[in-house]
Amino acid sequence: MVKRVERIKYAQLDRIGVLVEKGELTPPAALASIRKSSESLIPPTATNPGSPLEKALAQLDGLVGLTEVKQLVHEIKAFIEIQQKRAREGLANEPLALHQIFKGNPGTGKTTVARILGVIFKELGVLSKGHLVEVERADLVGEYIGHTAQKTREQIRKALGGILFVDEAYSLARGGEKDFGKESIDCLVKAMEDHRDDLILILAGYREEMEYFLQANPGLRSRFPIRIDFPDYSLEELLEIAQVFLAERDYYLTPGAREELARQLLVTQSLRHSGNARLVRNIIERAMRRQAVRLSTQPNPSRDQLMAIERVDLEGGVAA
Amino acid sequence: MRDCLIVGKTHAGKTLFVLNFAQYLGLDNVDLIFKYPNGLIEKKTYSIAKARRELVGPIPHTTRALQTVSIDLPVGKGVKRCFLTDTSGLIDHIHSDVEVRRAIAQTLGAIREADLILHLVDAAAVGVSDAPTALGEVDYQVAQIAQMRGGYAILANKMDLPGAVSGLAKLKLELPGHRLFPISALYKRGFREVKSYVQHLLC
Repeated sequence: MVKRVERIKYAQLDRIGVLVEKGELTPPAALASIRKSSESLIPPTATNPGSPLEKALAQLDGLVGLTEVKQLVHEIKAFIEIQQKRAREGLANEPLALHQIFKGNPGTGKTTVARILGVIFKELGVLSKGHLVEVERADLVGEYIGHTAQKTREQIRKALGGILFVDEAYSLARGGEKDFGKESIDCLVKAMEDHRDDLILILAGYREEMEYFLQANPGLRSRFPIRIDFPDYSLEELLEIAQVFLAERDYYLTPGAREELARQLLVTQSLRHSGNARLVRNIIERAMRRQAVRLSTQPNPSRDQLMAIERVDLEGGVAA
Repeated sequence: MRDCLIVGKTHAGKTLFVLNFAQYLGLDNVDLIFKYPNGLIEKKTYSIAKARRELVGPIPHTTRALQTVSIDLPVGKGVKRCFLTDTSGLIDHIHSDVEVRRAIAQTLGAIREADLILHLVDAAAVGVSDAPTALGEVDYQVAQIAQMRGGYAILANKMDLPGAVSGLAKLKLELPGHRLFPISALYKRGFREVKSYVQHLLC
């Protein structure tokens, strides 16, 4: 994580130097930017990155936006630690029910946060392995009687010691009473009881669909005490994600390209399920390819040209 | 901690300080390593007198490369080597000459890498608003960024000139909370304190 942060930092600082050289930034403004980069890009815990727990927390804090999610994760961590201390003192203890519902549109960071949670729970001693098994309906639901229980149990077995992340979990209930999805839900609930000390189940999906799913299965609501909302990213946050993504790869957006990206993101923000961070990544990856094609005709592109993503590289990005 | 960067506005006296400080520490000749913004590295040997003649000038932005001299400082029973690097002067605005801008960008890059930063300020010009070496926004920014490092000190230079005493008082108010040494790079005054500070950080 520290290495990654360093790479981002130095790519940004190189860009500042380029802007000074081009005459687009005064030296005082450049120094202010360098200071800001140095302060903001190094997570607070990166100064002592020793343990995997600290690294995971630094990674979480390094994610763009997600303020409430981060706060909740820190609360869960604190709660676990205090419960463990209380247990050591022989005090009454709340049983740790850490199964969770993640609600949010695609590309809002649900899987990323789940993966980080796995590491945190392992380091806190809640899980023995802390790995993430990501599944969807097709991985759990079978095609004939008995097949679903077999498939679901197989995924549970793989996830033991870690987190079973069921994406688009609401689809398990979409077929009505006769659908095999119901059988899978029953199987999952049983596994939550049987392996309560070494398995965490996270059900994820669109906000409205998950609400309907929980209403249709009232028994599930009480079994998932932690429900986290993943809001869509703001335009500023999406632009920041783009810049971090590019800086990690030694690219940067020219002012014109930034304007174009902002324009494209504004258009897509009005659409539901616009893709959020994933959409940004797709647009940027396409822009990187288009930049390569544009530069391939030039015999000796400069270092700055090799780093700069220009407006023309982004044109047509939304359709990508 | 071994790399000591000398920064400040253009014409604050950085090059003269480096050469006279090296002489104060006992060097008659210096091996200067020039690192140019285009990546070219060159080594030249000068007598201090010749270096002063060739490298110190009345025209702003005489220095357009990182110019490093190694110095040995007595520490305990031995000596420790550190590197003093002179830099191209900073300004508050965008310079019209791309070569100067390139040199300034190089200075900014060096600021982010340095262990110890000695920030030269023209004390005689602190209160003089129209002087090119007057305390400017770039000085405030250097102070802010440099205090994030382990070592940072302000050298209030040109204390031999009229107005420097009152300028020093204003400087203390403008950039409070930093280690500050009044010096005269021309007459090698205040060098003992600077040497002690650098020695202290090398220990």
